[in-house]
Amino acid sequence: MSGAKLRRPLGIIGLCALAAWPIVMSSPYDLRLFTLAGIFAILAIGYQFIFGYVGELSLSQGAFFGLSAYVTGILAAKAGFDFPATFAASIAVSVLLAALISLPVLRLASHYFALATLGIGQVLLLLAIDWQSLTGGAIGLSGVPLPRMFGFQIGRGWPLLLFVWSFVLLAALVAHQTKRGLYGLACHVVRQNAIAARSLAIDPDRIRFAMFLLSAAVAGVAGALHAHTIRIVSPEGLDFKVMISCLTMAVIGGRTHIWGAVAGALLVVHLPEWLRGLEQGYVIVTSGILIAILVLAPEGLAGLVDRLLPAAVGREAIPAAASAPASQVAGEGVLMPSETPILAIRGLTKTFGGVHALNDVTFSLMRGSITAVIGPNGSGKTTLVNCVTGIYRADGGEMVLGGNEISAMNSEDIAARGVGRTFQNLRLVDDMTVLDNVAVARFRTEQTSLGKAFLIGRRDARLERARSHAMHVLRRLGLETSAYLNCGSLAHGTKRLVEIARAICLDPVVLLLDEPAAGLNETEQADLARILEGLAARGLTLLIIEHNMEFLKSLATHMVCLDYGELIASGRPSAIYQDERVIEAYVGRRYGAEAMA
Amino acid sequence: MRSTGAIVLATMVLFSSGARAQETNLTVPIIAPITGLLALEGTSQLNGANLAIAHAPAGLKIKSVTVDSGTAADGGANALERVAGEKNVDFVVAPLFGTQVLAMLPGALDYKMPLLAPTGTGPVTEQGNPYMFRLYPHDAISKAAHIRYVVDELKLKKAAILYNTTGYGQSGFKYMSEYLAKAGGEVVFSEGIDLSAKEISATLAKLKAAKPDVVLIQMHSASIAMVVKQLAAANIQIHVVGNTTIAMPATAALLQPSELKGVCAESASWLEKGASSATDRFLDDYTAKFSAMPDAYAIQQYDGLMMALTAVKNGAKSAEDVRKYMSSSEYRGVAMTYKSDGKGNLAHSVVIVCYDGASLTPKLVKRYDDVAGF
Repeated sequence: MSGAKLRRPLGIIGLCALAAWPIVMSSPYDLRLFTLAGIFAILAIGYQFIFGYVGELSLSQGAFFGLSAYVTGILAAKAGFDFPATFAASIAVSVLLAALISLPVLRLASHYFALATLGIGQVLLLLAIDWQSLTGGAIGLSGVPLPRMFGFQIGRGWPLLLFVWSFVLLAALVAHQTKRGLYGLACHVVRQNAIAARSLAIDPDRIRFAMFLLSAAVAGVAGALHAHTIRIVSPEGLDFKVMISCLTMAVIGGRTHIWGAVAGALLVVHLPEWLRGLEQGYVIVTSGILIAILVLAPEGLAGLVDRLLPAAVGREAIPAAASAPASQVAGEGVLMPSETPILAIRGLTKTFGGVHALNDVTFSLMRGSITAVIGPNGSGKTTLVNCVTGIYRADGGEMVLGGNEISAMNSEDIAARGVGRTFQNLRLVDDMTVLDNVAVARFRTEQTSLGKAFLIGRRDARLERARSHAMHVLRRLGLETSAYLNCGSLAHGTKRLVEIARAICLDPVVLLLDEPAAGLNETEQADLARILEGLAARGLTLLIIEHNMEFLKSLATHMVCLDYGELIASGRPSAIYQDERVIEAYVGRRYGAEAMA
Repeated sequence: MRSTGAIVLATMVLFSSGARAQETNLTVPIIAPITGLLALEGTSQLNGANLAIAHAPAGLKIKSVTVDSGTAADGGANALERVAGEKNVDFVVAPLFGTQVLAMLPGALDYKMPLLAPTGTGPVTEQGNPYMFRLYPHDAISKAAHIRYVVDELKLKKAAILYNTTGYGQSGFKYMSEYLAKAGGEVVFSEGIDLSAKEISATLAKLKAAKPDVVLIQMHSASIAMVVKQLAAANIQIHVVGNTTIAMPATAALLQPSELKGVCAESASWLEKGASSATDRFLDDYTAKFSAMPDAYAIQQYDGLMMALTAVKNGAKSAEDVRKYMSSSEYRGVAMTYKSDGKGNLAHSVVIVCYDGASLTPKLVKRYDDVAGF
C-alpha cells in the first residue's frame, strides 16, 4: 500500500486513539492532564494562524492567553459573572488588544515583529504584578469557579474534559475552514512570498491582520478555559514560559497541520508528567526528547508524516469551463497593436539616496504591443517594473493605466487593476502545485475573504472556479501535464512559464516580464517567444525586460533603452539596434564608434 | 514434640499477625518545587520531609512519593490530582510556593485532603478552606516581629524596602509597609525586583539617595544573596534586616562572612544543639544525611510532617481524622509549638538572627513567641 493510501487509515486510527485516551487513562489526574492538553491544543491551533499560516513569528500568543485568563478570573471570581459573559468578554478583550497593537506592530518585519510582540507580554506581566487591587499582584486571584452557565455548573473530570475538547473541535473546524480553500492558498503565498502575493492582488497586510486577530481570539478561548480549569489566575500565566510552550507545541507538532498542534500539545503537556519519576532528571530528559524530535523531524511530527507518507496531490475533478481567461473568451483571432496607449508613464523618477535609479522616464505602451526595455546592468530596468507595479513608490512622475492614475496605488491594487508581472528571481511557492500556484491569482477576482472561508461547504466553489481558470491557462501554455506537480520539482524553464501562467491567470491588461528568457535554452526561448506573441495577438500588452537581444529581435514591436536611469532611446527594434547612444551605453564610446564604422 | 512445634508455630503466627495489625500503611506525597527558581528552597523542604519520614513514629509503614511542582501556577494542583487518588493517602505535603498552594485549595476541598505547606503567603489561610495547614508563620506574624525588632530594638524608622515581585515578596512588602507606618516609621524608598534580576546598581543608587536608616528585604534566596552582595560591594553602610531566606545556610554559603557583617533576619526557626534530644537528633541526622545545615523550610516541614504522622500514630485513620487532629491538637516540634489558630495557621513564633561578619552562621538575638500583628 502506498504512503498516500496509508494516510487515511492511519488518520482514523489516530482519531480513535485520541478518543480512547481518556477512556483508558481515566484517573482524575489523567483526565486533568488531558483537559489541560486540550486547552493548550486550542492555544497552539490559534498560534498556527499567525505563526503557521502566514509565517509571522509572533511572541504575543502567551500574552493574549494570560490576558484572557485574567479577564475571566476578574469577572468570574470578583464580579461573579457566569461563563457566557466571562468567555465572551475574555475573547473580546484579547481581540481588542490584538487590533490595537496590530496597527504599529504588523508593519514591522521579521525579528522586529517578534521583539515588538514579545514586549506586549512583558508589559502585561508588569501590569498583572503591579496592579494588585485588580489582579491580586504576584499571588494572583484564586477562587475562579468552574464554568457555570444557565444555572448549570460543568463539573470536574469528564464534564470539564468534554467541555474543553468541544472547543478544541471548534477551533480545529475554524482552522480547517481557513486553510482548505482559496483563502488558505493565499495565506500560503503570503507566508512564502509576500511580494509575489501583492503581485497577485492579494493584500498580505489584510491577511496578516485577520490571522493575528484570529490567533488572539483563539488564545482568548484557551486562556478563559485555563482559568476555569486551574481555578486561579496569576502572573505565571503571562510568563514567557507559556509562550515558549506554545511555540514548542507548534514547532514539535507542525506549524500548519491542525493535528500537529493537537499532537504537540498532548506531548508537551504529558511528557514531563510521564517522566516525573526521574525527579530532578525529568527536565533534562524531557528537553532531550524534544530536541531529538526537532533533529529527526525539523518540520514537526506532521511534517515527518508528510515526508514518510506523502499525500496524493489532489486531482479533484475540475469543473469544465467554469471560468475561462478573459482573453480567451474574446476569441482566438489575432489583434494588431493599436495606437491607444494602455499604460502611459510620464516623467517617472525614483532615487535611492543620491542615486537616480530612474530619472524623468517617459514612454507609453500601446494595447497589444510587445515593448522591450533594454539597458546595461544597473540602468534602472527592474526599478521601472517595481515602480509600475507599486513595489516601489516613485518619487515623481505619473503612471496612467487605461485612463486611471495608478501612481499612488498599493501594489495589490495595481495588480487588481490589471498589471501582472513576473520576477527576475522566480517567486513561486515551491511546496504548492503548479495548478494552485496559478489558481491563487484568482483570489481578488473571486472576492475571497476570511468570512466567506468560514462558510465554505463541502467544496469551495471559489477554489474550483479558480482551478478551472488556472487549468485553462496552463493548457494554453502547454503546462497541463505539470499541473499537479509541486513547483519545487520543476525545471527552471518550466518555472518561468508557470510564473507567466500565474500572471496571466490574473487576467491582466498589461504584463510585465522581468528577464523571462534568463536561463532558458534556445528551444525554450523559441517556445516562450511563440507563447508571448500569441498573448499579444489576443490583445495583451507586454513589457519585457531582457538582455537577450536575439530573443527580442523578432519579438518586440517597440523598444526603449535605459542608461543610468534615463531613457536614451525609444523606437522600433531595428532603429534601436543602430542607435549610437544605445551602442555606446552597452559597449562604451570608443568601441561604439568602431562598431558604427 | 509435635505438639510443642505446633504451639511455637501458632505463637509465631499470632505474633506476626499481631505485628502486622499494629503496622499502619501510609503514603505520603511530597509536592515541592525542586526545579526552577525555587529549587533551593524546595529542596530544603523536600529534605525536611524526607527526614520526618525517616524519623516517623514506630508502627507506620510509609511510602513517600515526591512530585516536582516546578514554578507553574498549576504545578501543585496537577500533582495533587496525581497523588490524591492513591492508596493510603491521608494528607499531602504541599509546596512552599503560595500561588501553587492557592491553586491546590479547590482540589483539597473536593478530595477533603489536608495540605501541609511551609508557606508564609497570606491568602492561603484566608480562603476559609478547613484542609489548609500552614507550617510557616503567616507573613502577618513574621513581618510583625520583623518590624518590631527594627523599631523597638534598633530604633530605626526610615526604611527602604526591597522585595521580589512574587507573591512572597509582595505579601511581605505589604505587611512591612503597613506595620512600619503604624509603628510611626516611614518607607522612604521601595522597589520590586524581578526574581531573575542579576544586577541592581541603579536601584541601589536610588536607595542611597533616599537616605534610609535601615534596609528591609523580602526576597527569595538567590535574589537576597545578590542584593546583600551588591550592598556590600557598593559599601552602603546601612543596617540590613532581611527575611528568613538570608538566614538559610544555603543562602549564606553564596556569600562571604564579611559581606554578611551586621545583616540580620527574621526567621521562623532557630535550633540550638543541646536544647532537646529531639533537636539534637534532627540536627545530627539532617547534617549527616544532607551534608548541610537545615534551614527554616526544612525545619518547619519536618515539624509539620511529624505532627501529621503523629496524628496517624495516635489513631487517625482517614484524611478527615488527620484534619481534625491538625485543627485541634497542640504539637511540640523541634523549632516551636504548633497549634492552629482556627484558620490553619500552625506556627506563631519568630526569631531574629544576626551575622557577626566572622562566620556564615548567624546568632540568635531576639525571640518572639505568640506574635500578634499590629
